[in-house]
Amino acid sequence: MTRPSPKQIHAIAGVAGVPVSADVAARIANSIGPAFEGFAAIAGTLPFDLEPATFVAVQSAGTADTTAKKAAT
Amino acid sequence: MSRQPALMSLQSVAQAIARQHLSSREATQSCLDRIAQWQPRLNAFIAVEAEAALAAADAADAALAKGELSGPLHGVPLAHKDMYYDAGRVVTCGSKIRRDFVPRVTATALQRLKDAGTIRLGSLQMAEFAYGPTGHNAHYGPVHNPWAPDHITGGSSSGSGAAVAARLSFAALGSDTGGSIRMPAHFCGVTGLKTTVGRISRAGAMPLSQSLDTVGPLARSAEDCALLLGLMAGADPEDPTAAGGPLPDYLAAARQPIKGLAVGIPRAFYIDDLDPEIARILDDTIAVLRHEGVNIVEVDLPDQRQLSAACQLVLAVEAAAFHKRWLIERPQDYGPQVLMRLQNGLAVPGVSYLEAMRWRGPALAAHLAAVAGVDAVIAPVAPVAAPTIAASDVGNSPDAEAVIQRLTRFTRPINYLGLPSLAIPAGFTAGGLPVGVQLVGRPFDEAMLLRIGAGLQRATDFHERVPVLA
Repeated sequence: MTRPSPKQIHAIAGVAGVPVSADVAARIANSIGPAFEGFAAIAGTLPFDLEPATFVAVQSAGTADTTAKKAAT
Repeated sequence: MSRQPALMSLQSVAQAIARQHLSSREATQSCLDRIAQWQPRLNAFIAVEAEAALAAADAADAALAKGELSGPLHGVPLAHKDMYYDAGRVVTCGSKIRRDFVPRVTATALQRLKDAGTIRLGSLQMAEFAYGPTGHNAHYGPVHNPWAPDHITGGSSSGSGAAVAARLSFAALGSDTGGSIRMPAHFCGVTGLKTTVGRISRAGAMPLSQSLDTVGPLARSAEDCALLLGLMAGADPEDPTAAGGPLPDYLAAARQPIKGLAVGIPRAFYIDDLDPEIARILDDTIAVLRHEGVNIVEVDLPDQRQLSAACQLVLAVEAAAFHKRWLIERPQDYGPQVLMRLQNGLAVPGVSYLEAMRWRGPALAAHLAAVAGVDAVIAPVAPVAAPTIAASDVGNSPDAEAVIQRLTRFTRPINYLGLPSLAIPAGFTAGGLPVGVQLVGRPFDEAMLLRIGAGLQRATDFHERVPVLA
């Protein structure tokens, strides 16, 4: 995943119904661009069946009141 | 009573009032006296409600005289971040747009504290719409650090950090979406608990990011945070994301010994590019833990930069979506930096946002595998102590986002994973600025963090130090 260009951002924002000027688009590209670069290694690699709710399942499975468990042992 | 009541801990003042060793009026007046002294210097409050607070205190005292104790915090005066809806009262959310907003409902977390007997001192400053880590606010001015008024408090719970540090309120609600409880706790020298996503109901709390928002307290100690968490946590029919199930006794957990526990120290990222004084204080804290019998274990965490980037994508999109109507109708009513950050969300395609959301489960699983052998992980909250207000007033300049990302680089990965984290005071710089560390735990294991944090606070006194009004 590459960072969006100011031209692309200008178009995306317009489609979203919140048009921005060329200057603002350039500023947005500068601000959010590093996030795209940071996530690039993950983008496009996720398994087909993976859905967002997996987070809740992992969270529940990883739940550990370790203080209570340690006190009980 | 020789000490000012306002200097007491939350637990102590609650016990003193309940036992009628101290009246609610005395406790409230003591806070109001300190607010009168400090507020012109700090700008920590958006509104001080002195008359109403004293009237409520008198009512609490009258009830107690008749043997009516409303709860474990009967008659204790508190103030909170001005984003918790309180039916019939203005809640500004730190914004111009909601300067006159009067909600019809009361936030569940706030209601539970009211049910415990607390009374209201007023409302506390915050970053506009909780979207800023420094404590600057384009509409209401910056909040000043009680330890050094030219320096920031951190945000977005800026007023909460300053008010608790200066002993203007015994504790305060904050919120943490990207570090907004831990940053002011670190910069102001107080204890702040970012809870697990789902631990405390968010009903009636102003939203910023539905996937990342958490409610939590800032207080003077880990034990005080434990008391507050126990009162607020649990299921809520108004918030289906609030977790149910039995709750541990957090206060009892905080009083358990820490000898024999294992704490992880990351081998990378959280120890990189630290200010030397932050590194020294982290090392000192680890030495204290070792002295208390805690096993320190190096851990290899997954790539935290990826977590941070994913957090930024999720937060940007969800914040922009909440604000879209106002972005169309009232863009001129936002401060420049908040407008800029909200506009960032417009640039993220839907597929990218959903990829960041879909990766959250595997990312959490990888983290939990990496920390399987430890009870918590210790890390700095930020790579620096509080910068000056002038140096961090970057507005919407081209490098503003880089400044923000640097300040929050150690907090955002934790938000993305939805984990609990306790920030506690750990030392002071040579210039007298407080420095904190954070303890990061497993999902819903706040009890362990409170146990380790309280253990550290039994061995140190950084949390008991009080700034002096110059």
